[in-house]
Amino acid sequence: MYAPLFCKSSFSFLEGASQPEELIDAASARGLASLALTDRDGVYGIVEAHVRAKEAGIHLIVGSEISVDDGSTIVLLARSRAGYANLCRLVTLGRRRSEKGRSSVGWREVYEHAGDLLALWGGARSLLAREPDPFFVGHGLREAFGDRLYAMAARHRRVEEPRQEARLRQRSARLGLPIVAAHEVLYHQRARRMLQDVFTALRHKVKLADAGRLLAPNDEHALKTPLAFDRLFEDDAAAVARTREVAARCSFSLDHLRYRYPAEKLPDGTTSSAWLRTLTFRGAAERYGGEPPRAVVEQLSKELALVEDLDYGGYFLTMWEIVRFCREQGILCQGRGSAANSAVCYALGITAVDPVALGLLFERFLSKERAEPPDIDLDIEHDRREEVIQHVYAKYGRTHAAMVANVIRYRARSAVGEVGKALGIPETALDRVSKILPMYGDVEPEAMAQAGLDPEHPTHQHLIRLASEVLDFPRHLSIHPGGFLLGHEPVETIVPIENGAMPDRTVIQWDKDMIEELGLFKVDLLGLGALNQLHEGFDLLRAHKNLDLSLATLPKEDAETYDMICAGDTVGVFQIESRAQMAMLPRLRPRTYYDLVIEVSIVRPGPITGGMVHPYLKRRGGEEPVVYPHPCLEPVLAKTLGVPLFQEQVIRLAVVAADYTPGEADQLRRDMAAWRKTGRIERHRERLVSRMTAKGIEAEFAHRVFDQIRGFGEYGFPESHAASFALIAYATAWMRRHHLDAFTCSLLNAQPMGFYTPSTIIDDAKRHGLTVLPVDVAISGWDCELEAAPRGDGTRPLAPVRLGLRYVKGLHEATAKRLVEAREARPFESIDDLVRRARLDEGATTRLAESGAFAAFETNRRGALWDAKRSARLRIEGAPDVRTTESPAAFATLDAFESIGWDYATMNLSPGGHPLEPLREKLAAKRLPDASQVRALPDGARTHYAGLVICRQRPGTASGVVFLTLEDETGFVNVVIWSKVFDKFQVLVKTASFLGVSGRLQVQDGVAHLIADAFWRPKLDTDPAEVGSRDFH
Amino acid sequence: MDRTACIDLPAFPLQILLRKHPDWRLHPAAVVEADTPQGTILWLNERARAAGIVTGMRYAAGLSLSSALRAAVVPAKDVEDEVGRIAELVRRFTPRVEPAKDEPGVFWLDANGLLRLFGSLSEWASSLHAEIVRAGFYASLAVGFERFAAYAVAKGTKGRSRVFDAPADERAAAREIRLDRLAIPPAARDTLVKLGVVTVGAFVDLPLEGIGVRFGPDLRRMHRLASGALSQPLEPDHPDVPATRRLILDHPERLAERIVMRIEEAIGPMLDEIGGKGRALAELSLAFRFERMDEHVESIQPAAPTLSAKLLAELIRLRLEAVRRLPDDVTEIILVARETAAGERQRELFAGKTRRDLAGGARALARVRAALGDEAVVRAELRDAHLPEARFAWVPMTTLPEPRPRPVTEPHLIRRLYTTPVPLPPRERHEPDGWLLRDLKQGPVVRVNGPYALSGWWWGRPVARDYHFAETKTGEHLWLFYDRAKSRWYLQGEVG
Repeated sequence: MYAPLFCKSSFSFLEGASQPEELIDAASARGLASLALTDRDGVYGIVEAHVRAKEAGIHLIVGSEISVDDGSTIVLLARSRAGYANLCRLVTLGRRRSEKGRSSVGWREVYEHAGDLLALWGGARSLLAREPDPFFVGHGLREAFGDRLYAMAARHRRVEEPRQEARLRQRSARLGLPIVAAHEVLYHQRARRMLQDVFTALRHKVKLADAGRLLAPNDEHALKTPLAFDRLFEDDAAAVARTREVAARCSFSLDHLRYRYPAEKLPDGTTSSAWLRTLTFRGAAERYGGEPPRAVVEQLSKELALVEDLDYGGYFLTMWEIVRFCREQGILCQGRGSAANSAVCYALGITAVDPVALGLLFERFLSKERAEPPDIDLDIEHDRREEVIQHVYAKYGRTHAAMVANVIRYRARSAVGEVGKALGIPETALDRVSKILPMYGDVEPEAMAQAGLDPEHPTHQHLIRLASEVLDFPRHLSIHPGGFLLGHEPVETIVPIENGAMPDRTVIQWDKDMIEELGLFKVDLLGLGALNQLHEGFDLLRAHKNLDLSLATLPKEDAETYDMICAGDTVGVFQIESRAQMAMLPRLRPRTYYDLVIEVSIVRPGPITGGMVHPYLKRRGGEEPVVYPHPCLEPVLAKTLGVPLFQEQVIRLAVVAADYTPGEADQLRRDMAAWRKTGRIERHRERLVSRMTAKGIEAEFAHRVFDQIRGFGEYGFPESHAASFALIAYATAWMRRHHLDAFTCSLLNAQPMGFYTPSTIIDDAKRHGLTVLPVDVAISGWDCELEAAPRGDGTRPLAPVRLGLRYVKGLHEATAKRLVEAREARPFESIDDLVRRARLDEGATTRLAESGAFAAFETNRRGALWDAKRSARLRIEGAPDVRTTESPAAFATLDAFESIGWDYATMNLSPGGHPLEPLREKLAAKRLPDASQVRALPDGARTHYAGLVICRQRPGTASGVVFLTLEDETGFVNVVIWSKVFDKFQVLVKTASFLGVSGRLQVQDGVAHLIADAFWRPKLDTDPAEVGSRDFH
Repeated sequence: MDRTACIDLPAFPLQILLRKHPDWRLHPAAVVEADTPQGTILWLNERARAAGIVTGMRYAAGLSLSSALRAAVVPAKDVEDEVGRIAELVRRFTPRVEPAKDEPGVFWLDANGLLRLFGSLSEWASSLHAEIVRAGFYASLAVGFERFAAYAVAKGTKGRSRVFDAPADERAAAREIRLDRLAIPPAARDTLVKLGVVTVGAFVDLPLEGIGVRFGPDLRRMHRLASGALSQPLEPDHPDVPATRRLILDHPERLAERIVMRIEEAIGPMLDEIGGKGRALAELSLAFRFERMDEHVESIQPAAPTLSAKLLAELIRLRLEAVRRLPDDVTEIILVARETAAGERQRELFAGKTRRDLAGGARALARVRAALGDEAVVRAELRDAHLPEARFAWVPMTTLPEPRPRPVTEPHLIRRLYTTPVPLPPRERHEPDGWLLRDLKQGPVVRVNGPYALSGWWWGRPVARDYHFAETKTGEHLWLFYDRAKSRWYLQGEVG
């Protein structure tokens, strides 16, 4: 029996045509004992292969085909942990100096990293079989690798091979190299040859028909059976036997990776555990204003003991250090995810939720049984995240810190696009198919027919088959939004590091699932716009209202804030502003922080698909008794009135009600997280339902729990995560209720974020009494600013918000900065003066004129535009002013309707008014009510309404139902479209900005929805400005 | 007073596209700049517009609005050809036609002196319009007095013809035309619309100097044309008519010799005409019209562009002598010359003599071509492919290049291919005399080397062959393959 020593998987991007797992499975099926995975310049696929090889009992040899700078390659296999580290270092060298996607090392570097690596020198791309004779390289390799260097005779039944092999044998005899037999495996079975051809065409950016000899001449790259391999080398049985010898010499396994977290700089004589304990209790004293309560002390002690036991102290210290850096730099940050279950994290200031007070489960975060590294995600102000990332690089160095990769995989659309291109199908036709295909899911032949392509045509059949085959194959690597791998030893000895597409970013070759699979630590630094907003909001309160507040010192449980929330008046409030959340708020009526935690969690696919929302609301409203499916579930579900709403509850439920062992529960959690990718969640259905029913729990409930588990897999929230988000939600809601000016100003400056466009935010704020002032070149800065509040009547006056230059479309920050600097040097005298001194180009000048920002010089925007064009042209051409020789031109002034239209055209918003405001009379003449009138109609009333579409949603959980939000100057109208109605009117619904709808009003708990039965284009002599709609699918 | 007219075929590339794909009229359809999802939509039909798609959008964006959107590129060459065809059609109504250079689909015409032929200009206009519609296009037509005014009215008129009797009427009508109907650079057009300047009249009312400063010389020129301050005469195109001779044989002739004589008589004056233009003949096409059979066209290509009647006559003779008698009686012969600049040939006269007489070789090949047909002289061109028969292609050889032999470092065996692989008898399970490929004389195969596999081309015609080199007892080296799909052996060639 032979050992395949030269196998490339799909992680040799656009070359290998089988997944690592498929290679392992095929090796197992062929009765092979070992397999070497030798992807091109990387070890991307070895974790997936390692996991499957362990299951299948295959000895996985870790290696890589290394590209050398003379265009040749050599295959290196890791004998031991030290050899593996050398391999990773060598790959890192090659990758770091090359552009993304390429790698190149010199022979000298190969010699220097030869320690405990086996080298297989041969194959079509090696120097050994080529001319001229690689005399010096051969001796260099011989010296570096000694008896670990083999000549690799690779056969693929190509006509040129005997001649090359003869050369190889002659040279290896001279160098005294043993011959080892091989064939380059690019796919696990012959049927994948087609996909390999497609990859080759894509790699060379040609069509298959034009690929010529770029393609392999035959299908001899499939993993061979022992018999077939023996036959291939029947003339050299010794070379076959030598494959086993090589395999036996490679004993390295990924299980040998012993990961040590970087030890922090510690005060003299202190261990990391002792230092963590000191910091924890110091922090707890600050948190609780003195001696912490007994329960807290007990919890802290328990957690610290476990942390010490598992030797994770360094990880907590690192997180503490990053948080401390943020605090020192004035960067708002907050831990989220399961870390919020930890009292230590709370005491260290990493998280802001008191898990003891909230009764959160520490075991969800860290447990001895699970023996998994903790996962702390840190939300950081979006705009300043890069500072933190660069701090981590600076502190740990590029060798000890690298970002985690994100493996981009083929989905139906990309698969059809790329395979089709290789097949030579017109790209416009492919794009038509792609648009019809779902984001996730299979390549459906029906989509071909819908796109006007005959699914029976042989080329299109190839497309369907190959695009289906390539689904889930890795396409390339990108960078995880904020995941870092940090190591005490250089990270490059654990996994190769390469350059990211972004400047100053380095990325490892594994993604977060692979890291988790190996039990390695990672640090997640994620950007969050809401923290930007809060930071700026607090700054504004300090500057304009002399209020010094922070997340920690905000007034707690403010009744007025909850009144506002209960009314569903939450535009711009973090997490509870969406249409669905707004509709839920008057029904759930949150009055406490924990209610907000539930509110954040309940409008999610998990509880919705599990049918848990209505039972919870009924129980909360006292319409239904709080009962438990089984008495054993009371401790698990008591907090949520007997209805599972959180991810933790579902897992505990599996343990308590379905007798899941800790191992099974952990597997359930993993399968939930990766169900889309693996579909493994289905294996829990039968197990859960049968065990629960055996315990006397109703089957219907058990099925609902399983549905919920699936839903959670998609977008479920753990309780701790919801608790962290609820804090920010409360803070933004409080600011909106009490300081709408600071709230709106900071929200506008933190854009893009959230559910609504700036225009909706402004219109909503204006309806609440805020004045929004237009952009003005004589006043505005880059950001929006608060102006002095008018002297009021004793009530709290709202300061007007002056729009910033950032809202003028296409105006760059650098240009605005020049403008502001020139203005600060001396006020502008005219448009001409401004254009010359701020060195504005024609585009910026005309956009400013059209936005009304030149009102200080010319109130008629058309006149300003006429002047601005002249000024800009003359500045560009350096020509003298010809105004004196130019006859005057007169232009009509803009009416209100036009002004708003111009505002939208240049800023996507209007401080002057809502686009429908000037049309109200015309709409009223057609007996069309405004939004406030619609909302006032009774349940069941039939009505017609016309408004601007600001949001379209088609949630996956809504069985094809589409939700629209229409807006006018008086507020929103929520429209529900059943799928039949949508199918009938979909072009109109998808394309129209100004839309008419007829339907029946449904009012429940004060929440009104218009159930549409028809749509139409409102017939007015003019159309209002196009407003942007935020569409979600 | 001079009369001028303008025809507008709006969205001309789209009209061409929809003529090519008539079924697309039932769908949203667009002309795109490039066949990629990011290709910009240049023109679109009403159905596409109704779906919310607008020009300037990316094709992918258009698709998101209508998944039924059909789109294709209309190559500039197609547009140019169609412009030529329309110009040809219009020339039947007036000899002086000027197709717009930057706006395909717009034509200016000289409408003077047509009254006698058509009775009235209205009659002329409606006949011309009807002819264009018959050709499958949608068009509008304006007959007036000024170039710009006629253009503006044609652009602003939907699918009909308008004739003006007084310049003032025409100018007044032009003032009402919206600027967005005219071919104005989009940026300038949008700015003018923002300024409230939406008609030609409002545009003309703006100060001329102001237009120049803000919008550049092109719009300034347009302003002058629109205001009447500048007039531009018609610049009719002069199609490049090749030298042509039509020989009508009063007595239908079948004998090649006599036909050649008739052609020779015509060639001299024809070459004089070409020479008079400072050009030379690169190719002569001869169209034979027969009494009963369909028309047949032959082409004669001299080795180099020539003005030599003797040389040409010799080549024609060589071509026709091969047949002696033509298959049917010839009633008419049309000679059409492809002309080219004579410069290159003239330069050759001064070039030093090369060691090889390439020109002589080329002349000889021209004679072979003339005698045996254009496909008679071919050369092998290497192709990048795996299959032996696909690794080269025979391509016609029109020029004789200087030979450039590559240095050979080591001797190569030569493999000779059969034009098509020769099927071999099935290999017997029991071969008492060994594997006999041909006959006993050749002897059995004594040594086989292989297999070398070649397979693939699954997207077209799948192939799966196992190649072998076989040595027979007599020392022949044969190149064989086993076709896996056909389960049969073939002889691909021989090695020597």
